[in-house]
Amino acid sequence: MIYPKKISSKKIDTFIKIFSLSVVVISIILLVINYLTTPNIYWSHLCICSLLYIYLTVRYSINRTRNISGFIVVQIILLTVLIYFIDYQIGYTGWSISVALPIIIIISNITMFILTIINYKNYGKYAINQLIIVLLSLSTIYFIHKGIISSNTLIKTSIIISIFNFLVSLILCYKDFKEEIIRKTNI
Amino acid sequence: MSKKTNKNTWRKLDNSAKIFPLSESKKYSTVFRYSVVLKEDIDKAVLEKAVEKALLRYKAFKVKLKRGIFWYYLEQNLKKAIVREESDYPCKRIDPIYSNDYLFSVTYFERKINIEIFHSLTDGNGGLIFFREIVYNYLEMKHKELLDKEERKTRKVEFDTEDSYIANFNKKSKKNDENKKAYILKGKELKFNQVSVNHLLINNYDLKNECTKYDMSTTQYLTSVLIWSIYNANILKNTKTIKNKKPIKVCIPVNLKKYFRSKTMSNFFSYISVDAEMDTCVSFEKITLFVKSEFEKKLTEEEMLKTMSDTVKIGKNLFISSIPLSLKKIIIRSVYAEIQKHLSITYSNIGKVGIIGKYQDYIDYFLFLIAPENIEKIKCSSCTYLDKVIFTFTSILNDNDIERFFYNFLRSQNVKVEVESNEILDSIEGGEKNDISQKNK
Repeated sequence: MIYPKKISSKKIDTFIKIFSLSVVVISIILLVINYLTTPNIYWSHLCICSLLYIYLTVRYSINRTRNISGFIVVQIILLTVLIYFIDYQIGYTGWSISVALPIIIIISNITMFILTIINYKNYGKYAINQLIIVLLSLSTIYFIHKGIISSNTLIKTSIIISIFNFLVSLILCYKDFKEEIIRKTNI
Repeated sequence: MSKKTNKNTWRKLDNSAKIFPLSESKKYSTVFRYSVVLKEDIDKAVLEKAVEKALLRYKAFKVKLKRGIFWYYLEQNLKKAIVREESDYPCKRIDPIYSNDYLFSVTYFERKINIEIFHSLTDGNGGLIFFREIVYNYLEMKHKELLDKEERKTRKVEFDTEDSYIANFNKKSKKNDENKKAYILKGKELKFNQVSVNHLLINNYDLKNECTKYDMSTTQYLTSVLIWSIYNANILKNTKTIKNKKPIKVCIPVNLKKYFRSKTMSNFFSYISVDAEMDTCVSFEKITLFVKSEFEKKLTEEEMLKTMSDTVKIGKNLFISSIPLSLKKIIIRSVYAEIQKHLSITYSNIGKVGIIGKYQDYIDYFLFLIAPENIEKIKCSSCTYLDKVIFTFTSILNDNDIERFFYNFLRSQNVKVEVESNEILDSIEGGEKNDISQKNK
């Protein structure tokens, strides 16, 4: 016999299957309880959205091939969607974009700055993600331009910090940044 | 193509390799496997050292796959390669979590060492060179006395990672293919992602005699037997009439290094398609004549250049290149699902596995396997080691009628065949020898 008789399923695959199934089952249970007890208040939607956030974060974290700066960018996107949904569910006032988003961007910039200082040799790997953070922070200009939110100090601060952080990193690690851009954009 | 930085190196994927990460999925792994069955049990610690040593020599394999904005690319992998005991069906998708990001995976089971390689890394030829190095290293570490007696010169490795497609393609070459859809093998599929494996250990002397009878090469003869088996054991079994049936199309990968100058360790292969219409399949003799003429017509440098140039043109197309990777993945997957319908089965013959001198004493035989998938539910491969041609069926079909017919046919031609399998399905040995002899008459 040259093949094993017992084929073991991979532990992570089993974990993902159980985890995915649990998320679906819990979501259904929450929906049913919500509609049976308080059909006028959609609290279950908020819970499901939070569950989805946890689910996506865990799924992304399992993949060890991604670097930490990628994780930060994914967190910005997921948190923004989650917070926007909460804002929308409790009667949209725009705080998710005008307050929460700039705070998330400022915190992520601080994290990226610390990462660059600690691990400046690998800055090249963070470069693209830092560029994405700048673009995300600049996206708030679009919301202001469309009149969805009004300009405030927090938004301006977040944009300035993003650009400043990016420029400082660029000046310090220009060669690595250029190299990373060439790799990522190879045609 | 290798670009140097002060930290680590990276390189673009070759023209063929670009497509694999875009089209692969859990059910379409584009992974192939080499195995060697030794005459003794495997020592894991020694095997780990053998792999590490091989990676020092073949740096082209010490890489991981990274996402770019437009294409994937390969970057140097500083992690240690993992060696595990075999615990899954062969040729499954290589999960970077379990392989420390490497695009190959080394496993062992009792007397057998396996290497599974994602096609983006290299083709069957490059894979065999690397695998042989691991086997040599393992035997040298395990049996130190070999080193004294045997002179395996550690020659400077001259292989490179150039994209030989780009180096050799011709802008003006054009392929005039009428591309008809192929007959798709019918039958229930195995459950739980199982893969059935049947290795036919064929006596090379008997097989050569048979090939001489028909004035054919081994690949041509085995392709003919394969078509004959599909016709009898799948088409006739599953359909009432053969009228308007699509042709049996057998894809035969071709090593382009035989036609063009190249020392690359990256992919450099093409393929020919042997398209047998139903009226060709009425007798084995007719099939042999047809297969021979197809090989003569299609297996030429000019034809290879046409096929290769067509693929390069697509890979180099600026419009396709400039589509962002995520979008490209969706497009390529849907296009690929259609393209796959133009082939019934693939048969890849890697040829002779050459092992020098005393090392042979420790080796029983080699195996070569390729991954079956949703459309091509069976894939066939073969390699030759000393006096054995090892023909392998990897299948996701819940029956082994084609394998059994193939085996019985060879036996009916007085070719000695032994069978090894992973016992997912019943054994193919025994049974219908007489029926097949009669059909052949």
